[in-house]
Amino acid sequence: MAKALTGTSPKTYISHTWWALSVACLVAVVGVLFFIFAFVIARGVPALKPEIFFTPTHGIAGGLSNAIAGTFLLVFTGLVIVILVGLGTAIWTVEFAAPWAQRVIRFMVDVLVGIPSIVVGYFLYVALVEIAGWGFSLIAGALALAIFMLPYVVRAADVALTNVPGALKEGAVALGARPAMVISSINLPYALPGILTGVLVATGIGLGETAPLIYTAGWSNYLPQVALTHSPVGYLTYVVWTYISQPFEASHQLAYAAAALLMIFVFLTNLLARSFVEYKLGKSQAR
Amino acid sequence: MAAINVPLRGATRVAPPSTLQRIGAQAVLRGLTGLAALASFMIIFVMLFFLIVYAWPAIRFNGIQFFTSPIWNIGNQYGSGTIVRNGYVGEPGAAFGALVFIYGSAVTALLTMVVAVPLSLMVALSLVYRVPRMIRPLANALVELMAGVPSVVYGLWGMVVLVPWIGQKLAPWVTAHLGFVPFLGGASGSGNGLAASVFILSLMVIPIMVATTRDVILAQSNTYFEASMALGSTSWQAMVRAVLPSVRKGIIASVLLAFGRALGETMAVLMVCGAAINSFPENVFSPINTIAAVIVSQLESALTDASGMAQRSLAELACVLFIITLIVNIVARGIMRGADRAEGR
Amino acid sequence: MRKTMALALAALLLVSVGGRALAATDLLETGSTLLYPLMNLWVAAYQGDHKDVQITTQGTGSGTGISQAISGVAQIGASDAYMGDAQMANSPMLNIPLAISAQQINYNVPGLNNVHLNLSGPVLAGIYSGEIQYWDDAKIKEINKQYASKLTHNQIVPIHRADGSGDTFIFTQYLTFSTPSWKSGPGYGTTVSWPSVSTAVGATGNPGMVQTCQNTPYSIAYVGVSFLNQTNKAGLGYAALENRAGKFVLPTAETIGSAARALDAKTPADERISLIFAPGASSYPIINYEYAIVNPKQGDGTKAAELKKFLDWALSDGQSGRFLDAVHFLPLPESIAAKSKAQIAKIQ
Repeated sequence: MAKALTGTSPKTYISHTWWALSVACLVAVVGVLFFIFAFVIARGVPALKPEIFFTPTHGIAGGLSNAIAGTFLLVFTGLVIVILVGLGTAIWTVEFAAPWAQRVIRFMVDVLVGIPSIVVGYFLYVALVEIAGWGFSLIAGALALAIFMLPYVVRAADVALTNVPGALKEGAVALGARPAMVISSINLPYALPGILTGVLVATGIGLGETAPLIYTAGWSNYLPQVALTHSPVGYLTYVVWTYISQPFEASHQLAYAAAALLMIFVFLTNLLARSFVEYKLGKSQAR
Repeated sequence: MAAINVPLRGATRVAPPSTLQRIGAQAVLRGLTGLAALASFMIIFVMLFFLIVYAWPAIRFNGIQFFTSPIWNIGNQYGSGTIVRNGYVGEPGAAFGALVFIYGSAVTALLTMVVAVPLSLMVALSLVYRVPRMIRPLANALVELMAGVPSVVYGLWGMVVLVPWIGQKLAPWVTAHLGFVPFLGGASGSGNGLAASVFILSLMVIPIMVATTRDVILAQSNTYFEASMALGSTSWQAMVRAVLPSVRKGIIASVLLAFGRALGETMAVLMVCGAAINSFPENVFSPINTIAAVIVSQLESALTDASGMAQRSLAELACVLFIITLIVNIVARGIMRGADRAEGR
Repeated sequence: MRKTMALALAALLLVSVGGRALAATDLLETGSTLLYPLMNLWVAAYQGDHKDVQITTQGTGSGTGISQAISGVAQIGASDAYMGDAQMANSPMLNIPLAISAQQINYNVPGLNNVHLNLSGPVLAGIYSGEIQYWDDAKIKEINKQYASKLTHNQIVPIHRADGSGDTFIFTQYLTFSTPSWKSGPGYGTTVSWPSVSTAVGATGNPGMVQTCQNTPYSIAYVGVSFLNQTNKAGLGYAALENRAGKFVLPTAETIGSAARALDAKTPADERISLIFAPGASSYPIINYEYAIVNPKQGDGTKAAELKKFLDWALSDGQSGRFLDAVHFLPLPESIAAKSKAQIAKIQ
């Protein structure tokens, strides 16, 4: 112990070297990632002129209004599906399921996280776009996103609902509330911050998906129509993917602008999610 | 007893029970949420079943050659006649061998792990023990933000910055000066290839592993660390010899999950891999192809196949990828649950 | 709080779809990246006068154009390749030529990008099959005697199309018609099983070909003539190709026109014919009709009518030099245009 304190033994030098190396790795990794950030923002932000929010893409240039609207529409519709199914799943798991069923559902939902995006995209393409004949459509794209977003919402809701203090629930039952009312007026409001965090995390995931949408939502140069089927929808990630390989500077500008917008949206949802976590922590600490 | 009614001044009537109240809101709720849970549960099975059924003609047509042959040929669409194998029809010359793609996926994912795992461990350790308390929340937030960046943005950077740098600066230097090392010599290529893919995938996978490893180490109580130090080890030795082994299950699980992610990543790899067909990489700068990337790049070609066999062979590829990632994921989750149970969580 | 959130979301939804003209007909054109620049010029001009139809254009590759026209997802499948007999038997579609285009062979050889190397079908077949690996190979020097000293011992990087491509179709047809070993080997198609060459790179779309060639010294790529301006700006060289008569020619209006005229009379009524390796001393060997693959049974009367109007416009006003010159295409000869119009009339 004395040797370690004075720091003269070789093994202490080795220890210091390794720690220095670890910090070097941290700096290297964070440095590269920060460089990517800076690159996209530096090229993208100047391209974010106000007009691009109001003009749609025109083949190789134009604006991003259709892509932005399409991204929001797809994520929103996907979230509607995910909240219905995901919240339902979590409620059933926490309130009604036997312990073995709980383990099975939680396991299956966790496994859902690792599915390759192209597998989901291909499956939905064959099943919905071709065989069911819906063509490139909002519903196919939203379903694709929903499959990816589901596990995050289910997990967050699951944890949030499990953490509702028993005392609250028992108090409500003692006052004569039936289980459904307990769930709706006690559990859900208490679990809301946790659920919303899950929804925000899922939104971040949904904003960034490309491969499943290429074969379900397709692409459109126009603002999305109010139609669930037979009408393709544009989205920002497509612009990043295809416009960067066009040999025109205007297309590149648009690709960078789309990438910068995506980063900003992801950053905002992340920030919101974190502030919810702190809000919830603050609330529970205040009692 | 009737539902809770805060009696309003003057109100004395109690509404008769509605249909919902008679059936029991609880039963309805139970039924609806049960359906939702069933849907969540069934998604994977439905997808797997559907893909296998859809790919069945290709599975029969291709046989074992699918896994052993490097030649992917959708057949002559402008020839005459068709060929029949095992009762299924394909265009003349059609032979679907996925060895190049399976090899590409495996090599890319494994090399990514070789690069990313040590880096992630180092970064996680420094985040837990060396980063000053003030910066810690910022550093953590940064890591989590990195995990959320869309893969196309990584691909964008890869295409515009990384690939030209590898093709024009790194690869020529390495092949000229380090060419004696196996797999580092030979043609320097275009920059699109294995090296670029591994680099990009590592960047995508490191934040996930760092976050999990950091969480797992923090959740571990300090006992192991302090005990080791008390016995005279340096802090590094305590870390590596005492703490890490105690959380190894969590780390292994996160490595497996990252491996699964590397196998399934599509867009970023698609943009930098070089789309190799029918050839194996001769060094780290050669073009490659992965299963996920080839499905996207070959899908439209496959749709022009009049016999439909190409499309079904792609479905077979999707099945292979799906099953492999499922197995990796299930094993990883199993390990994590085992670790949780052992810790009494 | 919940009410305001709901209202905000509803407002967002309304704004996002409100700008949409609900009464407009939607047409989707997808496919060939070779035709894509021209399609964009056409649509931009057409939409100015015809506000009741909205045409979305996409450059996704001829393979996609054909398959999505067949499946009905797209109304116009742009393709440099006509459909094969097997495909036609499965799905009888109209292959309607809209213009005559060509393809050049671009290369990025430092020191030689400002001159035109001579290349032939057999030499290209050798490069893409891996038999010819270096730029100073005897076979290349043989037909480029004046540049023999500038051809260095650097490995060739052949770039091919990774997606289903009409450019691949016409390029491999050139190789097939000129080189027996290629004919019995990979043959031609929108997708072929490329021989194993360890340096070979796949790029997506003509733009991808241009970009990869630009970024890779000592590479060679087949690129559509509508991108000739871009490749010139990028500093890439393009080759003089050996035609059937043994002469090395560059893609100019004269050489392309000469090849087109040679096969004019042989074009059948369904207009599925290859214009590759045409006879004639001044004919450019890689030219093709740019096809619109259209389903004769559209199933939607309004869409069919709008579709016919647009295609007819493309064959009349669209043949003007102000559209075609920018992309180095040639207008269709009268007889071919007439056959195309006859096919358009069949759409319902």
